Amino acid sequence: MTYGSSGGKLALTGRSLNILITGVGGQGLITLATLLAETAIYRGVKALIAETHGLSQRGGSVEVHVRLGEVKAPLIPQGGVDVLLGLELIETARRLKTLSEDGVVLTTDIMLRPGLPGVKLPDKTSLIESMKNVVGDRLIVVPASKLAREAGGLLYANTVMLGALAASGLLDGLVDVEDLKAAVARMKRAEENMKAFQLGFDYCAATCRRGNP
Amino acid sequence: MPSKWLLFPGRATALLLGNEAIARGALEAGIGFASAYPGTPSTEIVESLAWAAQKLGIHVEWSSNEKVALEAAWAASVSGVRALAAMKHVGLNVAADAFMSIGYTGVRAGLVIVSAGDPGMWSSQNEQDNRYYGLLGYIPVFEPSDPGEAKELTVKAFEFSEEHEHAVLMITTTRVSHVRGPVELKDLPKNFKTKGWFDKDPSRFTLVPQNARARREHLVSKWEAIRDALSNLQPFNRIEGDGRILIVADGVSYLYASEAAERLGIDARMLKLATPVPLPKKLVLKALEDVDKVLVVEELEPIVENQIKALVAEEGLDIEVHGKDYTGLTGEMTLERAARSILEFLGRGAVDIPWKPVDDGGLAGKLPPRPPAMCPGCPHRATYYALRRAVNAARVKPVYSGDIGCYSLGVLPPFREQDMLIEMGGSVGAGHGFAKVLDKQIVISIIGDSTFFHAGLPALANAVYNRSPQLVLVLDNRVTAMTGEQPNPGTGINAYGEPAPMLKVEDIARAMGVEKVVVFDPFKIKEATKALKEAIEYVRDKRAPAVAVARRACALEATRRARRAGIKQPLYQVIDDKCTACGVCYNAFTCPAIEVKENGKAWINPDLCTGCSVCAEVCPFNAIVKVVEEGEGWDDVWF
Repeated sequence: MTYGSSGGKLALTGRSLNILITGVGGQGLITLATLLAETAIYRGVKALIAETHGLSQRGGSVEVHVRLGEVKAPLIPQGGVDVLLGLELIETARRLKTLSEDGVVLTTDIMLRPGLPGVKLPDKTSLIESMKNVVGDRLIVVPASKLAREAGGLLYANTVMLGALAASGLLDGLVDVEDLKAAVARMKRAEENMKAFQLGFDYCAATCRRGNP
Repeated sequence: MPSKWLLFPGRATALLLGNEAIARGALEAGIGFASAYPGTPSTEIVESLAWAAQKLGIHVEWSSNEKVALEAAWAASVSGVRALAAMKHVGLNVAADAFMSIGYTGVRAGLVIVSAGDPGMWSSQNEQDNRYYGLLGYIPVFEPSDPGEAKELTVKAFEFSEEHEHAVLMITTTRVSHVRGPVELKDLPKNFKTKGWFDKDPSRFTLVPQNARARREHLVSKWEAIRDALSNLQPFNRIEGDGRILIVADGVSYLYASEAAERLGIDARMLKLATPVPLPKKLVLKALEDVDKVLVVEELEPIVENQIKALVAEEGLDIEVHGKDYTGLTGEMTLERAARSILEFLGRGAVDIPWKPVDDGGLAGKLPPRPPAMCPGCPHRATYYALRRAVNAARVKPVYSGDIGCYSLGVLPPFREQDMLIEMGGSVGAGHGFAKVLDKQIVISIIGDSTFFHAGLPALANAVYNRSPQLVLVLDNRVTAMTGEQPNPGTGINAYGEPAPMLKVEDIARAMGVEKVVVFDPFKIKEATKALKEAIEYVRDKRAPAVAVARRACALEATRRARRAGIKQPLYQVIDDKCTACGVCYNAFTCPAIEVKENGKAWINPDLCTGCSVCAEVCPFNAIVKVVEEGEGWDDVWF
């Protein structure tokens, strides 16, 4: 155990991974984070999740910090994000700044309209182009709107992205893919979630497999 | 629902939310009584305990406010039952009257008051530092750094409280309460003591001046014994590493300071504190041995820093003590902030900070903002829409006296119907003052059902007694919605989900002597507008208070009930040919389920539509129609 009361000093020499999950309140960010963290802890890997609740969560711009491995503090520093996992494009674009030098962006192609009068949405294609200009080929856009609908509806986009993340190789050494699958199988609406996970996994296995960041 | 690990009987490592960890700690300590008023980021403590309560036979309740919660928990404690009262940081302001006296009386069975702070104001109106309350009320402050420690420290807090017959104030922040992390579960007790006996001792418990003077003397001497005991609170308070530089950090700041120092490769002595108040002098003096200078890393106010400065002066030590001059006073701690403070304190440049934000070429600045929004189907949106129409129809200049709840979001466009907001229940009290001095503006005080029961009742009594011309609009969505749909005295169920007495706002208003009371359904925009207009005109013409009750359940709660009962939800769609792209539904009503097509016409996202029907009434061209009929019982889930 490495929590505050452990008594000893922990040398932060081992592997750690900072995942910033972002999206719109209600998209299932915390569910996603909890699955990752529980699966890590199951194998004795430390995991911390920092969430936002309450007023800031209602349909607003939300981020959840997931830190795996040898870490202590709950929040990822700006410029320290290894994986930016986006469930909504505008929210992903908003947080490109947080990436580390070789951090990877894994995002859905879903765009949700902020509930403000007269709001102008950016054009999806040109937004993705602008994001590419910032991070180059470290941007992976998963066609999650299509894949989630195939699995049963847009609410499965979070599980699609979990599958994509699992296939990316970014979790290697911290979270076991088979454990993660087993955890998805224990979710409510397991059949749809399993399908969503597999669709995301297959998409990413074919297009975005990479080594550790 | 809380983690399944909460009631796991034996030992294991579990991922728990900080608040669940505190609940688990309270259970491992054999708690018998818990009370709270919900408030982010404290809510899940008592929510978790309520879930566990029926299985264990302990008493857990949502109290009508924090003051009542603390008074009740104190009474349980002095009757020999271990008790916990939980609240958010500003909740302790409400409970402060009781809090300031319980240092004088002390306690018997362990009493832990949890106050969850919110540096950075993620869900609060201020970021007050409640460690001051510890100094103010002579109550020791325990401050865990993460969920694992929060569980252990809760158990320790009960033991400490009982041993010293003194309450403990446990302070968390958003980054402890709302962090999930590994927690080492230990065995749950076989029995929970839930019943006690009150041994009378008026010289101690009845604080008339003569007794209070004696108790004050007692309190001051006890405070030093508590201070000494905290020096030995291992491993929560401890010295790590060595060097002539000392970094002191409490609560979650310890984790930031410790990780920052390690990532920067800085070798310093570190004093980890879990008890910032009172400063454990003996331990701090030990940490100060052979040290040249000190940096205190703490959030918000210089509580630890000032106590250490006083100690250094008292002892005549030649040590520089720094803190807020490097860390700053506002917002929450971060790794970058801790790293920058440490580097500057050591006279090194910020260039050594290992994390550099990416230059996104100004992309983020060009994106539309996304503030939190009222949900699809939220009855508050319909009420605000109707209220705007009523105000226009009555041709009055309104002042909207605001309050705390999801409806605070009415401050945002297009509604802008929260002209002020300072604290829980403040709408009606301030509304009274406005109404007494404003003769050309009509005061409309807007308050939720839970907030009304929390602190609106005394203000309404005052409004009637002192005859204030204000409309008190109670948004009765049947639950305390913002914190996650906890029941309140108006809901009709208790913390366990069992049937309970249901207090009705309109009955209370009439009993208090309000002569004009109207109740309306906000989803029926025309009727709602008419009812509100009438009430506004009454206030304007009679110069007396009126109460309007908008009654419709929280959409999250209503749709959840429908799903559970298998009741089919209706669905609305836009008839494309009839839609004129006028934008009323998405610009003036702003339901998040309504999207805009490229040609400006509306489209209802079936994944988000709750079938509330209000957009169909709002549409001036009758272009929105029901395409899926509701199942039987649909209307009932909304009340």
